[in-house]
Amino acid sequence: MSNSTKLDIQNLNAWFCEKHALKNVNVKIPDKEVVAVIGPSGCGKSTFVRCINRMHELIPGAKASGKALLDGVDVYGGMDVMDVRRKIGMVFQKPNPFPNMSVADNVVAGLKLVGTHSKKELAEIAEERLKSVGLWEEIKDELKKSGASLSGGQQQRLCIARALAMNPEVILMDEPTSALDPASTAKLEELVKKLKNEISVVIITHNVSQAARISDMTAFFYLGELVEFDETRNIFEHPKNPLTERYITGRFG
Amino acid sequence: MPRRNSRFFNLQDSVFKYLLIGVSAFVVLLFITLFYMLIDRSFPSISINGLSTLTGTVWNSAAGIFGAVPAIAGTLFSAVIATLFAIPISLGVAIYFTEYAPSRIKSVLSLFIDLLAAIPSVIYGIWGLWVISPLIKIYVQQPIVGAIGFIPIFAGPAYGLSIFLASMILTIMVIPIISSLSIELLGGTPPSLREGLISLGATKWETVRHVGIPFARLGIFSAIILGLGRALGETMAVTMVIGNSYLWPFETSSLFAPATTITSKIASELYEATSTLHIASLIELALILLVITLLINTVARLIINRTIKRGYY
Amino acid sequence: MDILSRRGRERLIKYICLLLTVLAVVPLLWIIGEVVYNGVSAINLEFLTALPAPFGESGGGIGNAILGTLIINAMASLFGIPVGILTGMYLSEYDRTSRLGSAVRTVIESLSGVPSIIFGIFAYSLIVLTVRHYTAIAAAFALGLMMIPLIAKATEESMKIVSNDIREAAIALGVPKWVRTTKIVFSIAKGGILTGCLLAFARISGETAPLLFTSLFSFYWPIGIDQPMASLQVLIYNYAMSGFQNWVIKAWGASLLLVIIVVSINVIVRRFAKPKYKAGV
Repeated sequence: MSNSTKLDIQNLNAWFCEKHALKNVNVKIPDKEVVAVIGPSGCGKSTFVRCINRMHELIPGAKASGKALLDGVDVYGGMDVMDVRRKIGMVFQKPNPFPNMSVADNVVAGLKLVGTHSKKELAEIAEERLKSVGLWEEIKDELKKSGASLSGGQQQRLCIARALAMNPEVILMDEPTSALDPASTAKLEELVKKLKNEISVVIITHNVSQAARISDMTAFFYLGELVEFDETRNIFEHPKNPLTERYITGRFG
Repeated sequence: MPRRNSRFFNLQDSVFKYLLIGVSAFVVLLFITLFYMLIDRSFPSISINGLSTLTGTVWNSAAGIFGAVPAIAGTLFSAVIATLFAIPISLGVAIYFTEYAPSRIKSVLSLFIDLLAAIPSVIYGIWGLWVISPLIKIYVQQPIVGAIGFIPIFAGPAYGLSIFLASMILTIMVIPIISSLSIELLGGTPPSLREGLISLGATKWETVRHVGIPFARLGIFSAIILGLGRALGETMAVTMVIGNSYLWPFETSSLFAPATTITSKIASELYEATSTLHIASLIELALILLVITLLINTVARLIINRTIKRGYY
Repeated sequence: MDILSRRGRERLIKYICLLLTVLAVVPLLWIIGEVVYNGVSAINLEFLTALPAPFGESGGGIGNAILGTLIINAMASLFGIPVGILTGMYLSEYDRTSRLGSAVRTVIESLSGVPSIIFGIFAYSLIVLTVRHYTAIAAAFALGLMMIPLIAKATEESMKIVSNDIREAAIALGVPKWVRTTKIVFSIAKGGILTGCLLAFARISGETAPLLFTSLFSFYWPIGIDQPMASLQVLIYNYAMSGFQNWVIKAWGASLLLVIIVVSINVIVRRFAKPKYKAGV
C-alpha cells in the first residue's frame, strides 16, 4: 500500500508545562488509510493526536512545536486554527452529542451553527451522513429527538456523522469504542473500515487486537516517542523493536 | 472561501470577547462609582460635622445638628439581638431538617424557609405594624410593664412600635439566612464520619453534636455573620415598626420605647431633606452602613466559600 | 423515663428542634394568612384598574401602582438581565483567572451583600440629584443593579456545569468561540439562567427602599419614565403608615398581589429547576 501522504508530521514536540510529552515525532500519515495508534497508558498517543488538530494547545500550560503538513500546508501557522479543525475532524472517547439539539441538528451542527447552508441542504446532508454511518434506518423516525437520547453506540456513530458532515480530509478518533458494548464496537469497526475509502483515519486504541483488525498501518508509541511505524501486518508478525513486541504480546501496558 | 470565512469569524470572536470584557468592566466601574458617589455626596457632612455625626446624640436638621448615635445604637442593638435570638431557632431548624425530618416534610420545610426569605420586607412591615404591634402591646408589653416596669429597660409606657418589636421582626427575617446555610453545611458532613459514629450506636443528636456541628462550625459562624449583615441593612420592616424617634436609648432606655436605626432614619427623612448638609449627613450615615455591611459580608463569604469547597474545618 | 438518659436526651432534643422549627414556620403562615385575609376583601375590578381616590374619600384603586411596578420592573430587567448574563458568560467562558475576572467576582460578591437602601441612595445621588427631580429611571437603575449579581452568579454557575466534553466537541468542529459560547453552552444552561432571572425578578418586585427616593410615588397614571411613578411596594409603605382605613385596606390588597407574585415565582422555580437555586440568600 503506497498511497500518497496526507499528513506529514515533522519534528513534533509537545509539552505539558515542563513535562516533555512528545519527543521529536516524525511520521507520514498516508491518504485514505486507517492508521492505528497504540501504546501503554501515558505514552503520548492522545497528545500526539490532539496536536494534529491543535486541541493540545487548549490545555493551560501546554505547548507544541514542529510541523504538521496537511497536503503541504502547515497546520501550525499555514492556516487559521478554525480551518484546521474543519479539515481534521475528531471523535472522542466518550460520545458527546449536543444535548440541546435534535439528532438531525447534531449531524449538521458544524455547518448550521456557522450558517453556511440552507435548511434544505442541511436536511439532505444530515440524511446522507446518517446513512453513511448506518444510523439512518435506525432513527429516521426519531430525528427530532435530542441527540443525547440515543444509546451509547448510536451516540458515537452520531458523533462520527457530525464530524464527517464537515467533509474533513482526516478524521481522528480517540479510543472511540472504549465506552461501548461489544455489539456497538463491532458496528463501529465496520464503519471505520468503510470510511477509509473516503478519508484518512487515525484511530487511537488501547485494544491491540482492534488495531490488528481494522488498521492498515500502526504506530507504536512509548514514553513520548514514536518507536515503530509500519504496515500493521509487519508490526504484528515481525515487529522490529523489542519494545513493540513486548507490548503486542501483552507483557506490559 | 475558507480563508475569508476564518477572518470573519475571528473578527466576530474579537467583537464578542470585547463586548463581554466591556460589560464586566462596566460592572466593576459601577461599584467604584457607588463608593465615589456616596463619598462625594456625603462630603459636606464629613467636612463640616466631622466626628460629631458619630458622637452626637441630638439630631436637629433645622439647627444643623446631626448627631447619629441613637440611630447607630438602634441599628447595632436590634441587629445583634435579632441575630442572637435567631441562632438557636435557626440551628434547631437546621438540625431538625437534616436529622429528624421525614422526606415529605423536608421539601415543604425547604420551601417555607425560602419563602421566609422571599417575603418582601415591606410586607413584614405591614404585618408587624397592623397585626403584631397591637398584640404585642396588649399581651406582652403591658403585662411586663405592669409586673417589672420598675426595671428601666422594661419601663412603660408600652408603645407597640418600639425597638423591641423591631428586634422581634428582624429575628424572623434573619432565621432563613442562617438556617438555609446551616442546612447546606450540615448536609455536607462527610458520610464516612457520620457513619463511623452511628455504627458505634450514637444517637442522631450525638452525631450532630460531635461530628456535624464541629465540622460545620466555621461555616455556621459565617452564616451567623451574614445574618447579622442582613439585619444591619434591613430597612422597610424596621422603619414601619420601630416608631422613628430619638427617645431611645438616651431619654429612656426602655425596650418598649420607639427608636431609630440608620436605615429607618434615611428612609423616613431623605425625601423631605432640603438642605445640602441634611442630605449629606444622611448619605454619610449610608456610607457608614455600607462600610460595616461590606466588611461583615466579605469576611463571612470568604470563610464560607473556603469551608464549603474544601470540606474541612 | 430518666430525662438524662441518652435516649431521653435524644427525644428531648428532637422535640426541642421540632418546636423551634414550628416557631420559625408559624410567622410565615401567619403573614400569608393575614395578607390573604385582609387583602382579599380589597380586590375587585375597580381596585385593579382605577386610580386612587382623593384622600379621605372611599373607593378608588391602585391601577397606577400595578402598572408602575410593571414598568419599573421591566426597565430594571432590561438593564439587569443582559448585563448580568454577559458578565456571567465572561466569568464562565472567557476569564482565566485574570485580574479583571477576580475584580468582577469580588464586586459581584460584595454587591450581593449591600443593603438595598444603598442602591437607592446611589441612584438618588447619581441621577435624582443631578437632574433635580425624582424619576422612575433612577428606580429602574437601582433595581437593575440589584439584579446583576444574582443573574451573573446564576449564569456563571449554570454555564460552568456544562460538561467540558461538549465544549471539546464544538471546538473540534471548528465552530467560532462566540458561537460555541452562545448557541451551545448558553443554550444548554438556559434553564438555570432563566431560574436566576425569575428569582431576581421576584426579589426586586419586593424591594421598596430603593424606590423611596427615586421613583417616589404618584397618584396618577405613569406619564413618563423620567417622572415619579407609583409602585406597589411604595404604595404599601405609604398607605399602611397613613392610618387612613380605606388606604390601609388597599395596602393589604396590594400586599396580597405582591405575595402572590413572589410566592408563585418561588414555587414555579422549585418545581422546574435544580434544588441549587434557592431564593436570594
